[in-house]
Amino acid sequence: MRVLWSIGLLSAAIIAFQLALMQQLSIVQWYHFAYMVISVALLGFGSAGTVLSIFRKKLLTHLSSCLYWLMMGAGVSMALVTSIAQAPAIRFDSYLLFTDMRQAGLLLLSYLLFFIPFFLGALAIGLLFVAYADRIGKIYFANLAGSGIGGILALAGVSRLSPQQLTTVMAILPVLAAWLILPRRVIWVPAAIVIIGMKWMYPSPLVLSQYKDLSKTLLLPGSKITMEKNSPYGLIQTLTSPALRYAPGLSLTATNTATVQQAAFVNGDWFGVVLKPDTSFILNYTTFALPYVIAQRKEVLILRAGTGVDIQQARSKGAEHITAVEPNAAMLALLKNEWGDSISTHALEPRTFLSTGNEEYDLITLPIVGSFGGSAGLYALQEQFLLTREAFLEMWIKLHYTGAISVSAWMDYPLRNPLKLLATITDMLYAAGVADPREHIAAIRSWGTITFTVTRSPLATKEIARVRQFCTDMQFDPAILPGLQPAERAQYNQLEDTLFFHYIDRILSPDRNSFYDEYDFNIRPATDNQPYFSQFIKLSRLPRLANFFGKRSLPFFELGYLLVVATFVQISLLSFILIILPLFRKGWKSAALPGILVYFSGIGIGYMFVEIVLIQRCILYLGTPVYAAAAVITSLLTFSGIGSYVSSYFTRAQKRLQLVIGGIVGLLLCYAVVLSPVLQNTMHLPLPFKAFILLLLIAPLAFLMGIPFPAGLSYVATTEAAAVPWAWGVNGCLSVISTGLASIIAVELGFSWVMILAASAYGLVILPLLFASGQSSSRSGQTAVRRNVYRGHK
Amino acid sequence: MQVTTAILTLLLTTAPFQEDAYRERRNAMVKQQIEKEGVRSPTVLAAMRSVQRHLFIPESMRSYAYSDRPVPIGYGQTISQPYIVAYMTQVIDPQPDFRVLEIGTGSGYQAAILAGMVKAVYTIEIVRPLGQSATERLQQLGYNNVSVKIDDGYHGWKEHAPFDAIVVTAATAYIPPPLLDQLRENGKMIIPVGSPFQTQWLMLVTKKDGKATTKRLLPVSFVPFTRK
Repeated sequence: MRVLWSIGLLSAAIIAFQLALMQQLSIVQWYHFAYMVISVALLGFGSAGTVLSIFRKKLLTHLSSCLYWLMMGAGVSMALVTSIAQAPAIRFDSYLLFTDMRQAGLLLLSYLLFFIPFFLGALAIGLLFVAYADRIGKIYFANLAGSGIGGILALAGVSRLSPQQLTTVMAILPVLAAWLILPRRVIWVPAAIVIIGMKWMYPSPLVLSQYKDLSKTLLLPGSKITMEKNSPYGLIQTLTSPALRYAPGLSLTATNTATVQQAAFVNGDWFGVVLKPDTSFILNYTTFALPYVIAQRKEVLILRAGTGVDIQQARSKGAEHITAVEPNAAMLALLKNEWGDSISTHALEPRTFLSTGNEEYDLITLPIVGSFGGSAGLYALQEQFLLTREAFLEMWIKLHYTGAISVSAWMDYPLRNPLKLLATITDMLYAAGVADPREHIAAIRSWGTITFTVTRSPLATKEIARVRQFCTDMQFDPAILPGLQPAERAQYNQLEDTLFFHYIDRILSPDRNSFYDEYDFNIRPATDNQPYFSQFIKLSRLPRLANFFGKRSLPFFELGYLLVVATFVQISLLSFILIILPLFRKGWKSAALPGILVYFSGIGIGYMFVEIVLIQRCILYLGTPVYAAAAVITSLLTFSGIGSYVSSYFTRAQKRLQLVIGGIVGLLLCYAVVLSPVLQNTMHLPLPFKAFILLLLIAPLAFLMGIPFPAGLSYVATTEAAAVPWAWGVNGCLSVISTGLASIIAVELGFSWVMILAASAYGLVILPLLFASGQSSSRSGQTAVRRNVYRGHK
Repeated sequence: MQVTTAILTLLLTTAPFQEDAYRERRNAMVKQQIEKEGVRSPTVLAAMRSVQRHLFIPESMRSYAYSDRPVPIGYGQTISQPYIVAYMTQVIDPQPDFRVLEIGTGSGYQAAILAGMVKAVYTIEIVRPLGQSATERLQQLGYNNVSVKIDDGYHGWKEHAPFDAIVVTAATAYIPPPLLDQLRENGKMIIPVGSPFQTQWLMLVTKKDGKATTKRLLPVSFVPFTRK
């Protein structure tokens, strides 16, 4: 029993440490270092498998002692490495990687530091798997349950604690786990607790990259941080400085800018501003004012209200009822503080809000698309359910007959965001039954931004005239307007070439699909099945782009996606080495190895694919990524844990295990078809009902998916005991590879395909089972013959 | 004593060689990175050949001084790559009687390039430590027609306005109205729009009959786009 508690505590700590480390790197560097943490964890688990394969006997000889010190080491290193990595001599700055070779060395050093706790913890877990292979069902149950609880603890912890504090708290768990293994060796426990306690009392401050938005803003005269708050969305900070101003794409006729009251940052990245009320009129000198120029708007819905700039604009334009939807509760508190009860606020994901209620609006606004200056490459793999064709359709349905949707984008280079936005709007209009989208779209352009306003009824002549006049007054250029002449399109703000206008005309034409194929970037409308609006890269066009713009420019288009692809390749190579290496070392020639490889790879890939698809689907369904991750991870791991607990029943009969695998494949194929409609049709229900529906959907699948791993490992332990750590390593490596692979497949083909491929991966697992079943029946046949021969002789 | 003398002698004798080496690298920089990429103005090319770029770069990064890349100078700032400096200078077409305003002094390199071509350069830096070190550096190197002010560049430098040209070297999300106001009729302002880690572009703002118009010129980034 103590062993089960021990493995549970250690598993919880490892998962929580991983999440806290991701959060720390998101704050001091950028969020894409999450992938680095995943690869470090993989390296830890993979290397542990290799070490275990090679030194299995030695480690088992001193089992308790080894476990004790491995867990102690994992705990203490969890507390210390995050601080050591912040020391001036070790700290790296990813921005400088482009110019300073020393940074590559420092990055490697950090990588190795973070590797230590994962390696020590993984080696302890692997050792327990090997030592207690006969009770693998229960051990695996404790492992899964611990991981699930660790995930929840971390999610709850990040709302209240800094990453440094969270890693310190979590570091105590492996120390307790060590104590449970060897209760009489209590002497070292207080020593470890003291070291961890010192870290809590004297935490090293997080030093942000000097290139982060917050670092640069803090250099402005008179700047000071006014609020700091940990939240599920990250570290939220607000700052004031007299030198901060706001006026994106401001008209050249403006004589002033808006003064910023507060600027908000999430994980050190710019989030938005709260303007001084008396200067918010300046927003009327931006293209964002277009919907108010076309008509008066009394009922305004502001989706992802952020820091409330759109609210200020709506109020300055005389809106009577303003509804602000912002999922980030900390930001919403800021809005409430600013506006009190004069506006209606909802702490919901915009899509969740859109799926409920029957209210209609004069105007629905969205936040500006594309980060300042263009490329949203870092966010290429972020699901953006607000920018899909289905989202625009839901907004369209909520408009009054005279209402409009308005959305702006930065004019990027090469052109992507404005084109994809227009493509999505056009697609939505056709889907809504509009015969000629041109009659419903007004788009105007400043030197830096473009605003699209989509009207429910065709634009009237007087409305068109008002837009023209506004453009003249502000020195903006109309880009789309009924009856627009080519000469009107670049009077004040000339582009490097006029292809932009050709492109938008093609998107509005019936042959838009052929244009999407021809264009070097992916500007097809995003859908709920592929909600990656900011993913523009076409892998097949990379050589052409590299030739046109220069190889070094590519990372600046789509850094996020390229990072995932690069990490996937790197992890795959690493995994190959980690899986193959022990084979060479041991010189195994067992015929069972290919079967073990296929079996444990298949269930590793299948499990992770399912987990990732479910999380991604539930982000839209439950409203926030935090709820989605918590609900899916908890229910998946809990029911898988129950499955693993009863797995010994299936180990004894191959046929039963084949039925389990068949059941998983059947359920997955069924979910690939029915999951979307079920979730779509119940999205309007209250959260507890949705959580219950989700539980009903996940429980049977998770229960079955918890069986194959312990059942397989138990079988290997009885037939090829030396291969147990290797089988565990294969499963671990493939699980981590699958995280990146699932994202790439979701981007390229959509969620449904990830589910189908998960079913295929589980389907493959049946092959080695059939083979093993054939072998075992052949073996039992031979035994029976021998027995009969013996009896005959007898 | 003998050792000290030997070291001093060595330093004194190697310094001219070092300077020769830098001159060679500077000439190569102008030929390969600037002239070849389309900057033809003889005065700009001469300025790029004469200003010792390595003296505007921190010691630790000096080996990158003449490389085709921007170089970090601390405080989250960089000195632009040589081609961008030359290109921006050529676009404003500096004349000997020009008064030029620069926003974002940084290391002072752009101001030094302009100093040899125009009557006066007024440059403003908002980050105090950068402004102070640039002031000292420019004084030491004898750029006497450059005035440095540590202030918020948004407001420009009203006392010396109007300016024949304005060079903004820090990316921004808006074009500051006071700068447009301080730009002389027919004057030119060049300004990069965008942010680090993102695609940026250089924009030319011209003022005619009191009205400003914009033209996007060149996409740039932390690493340049070498458009073929």
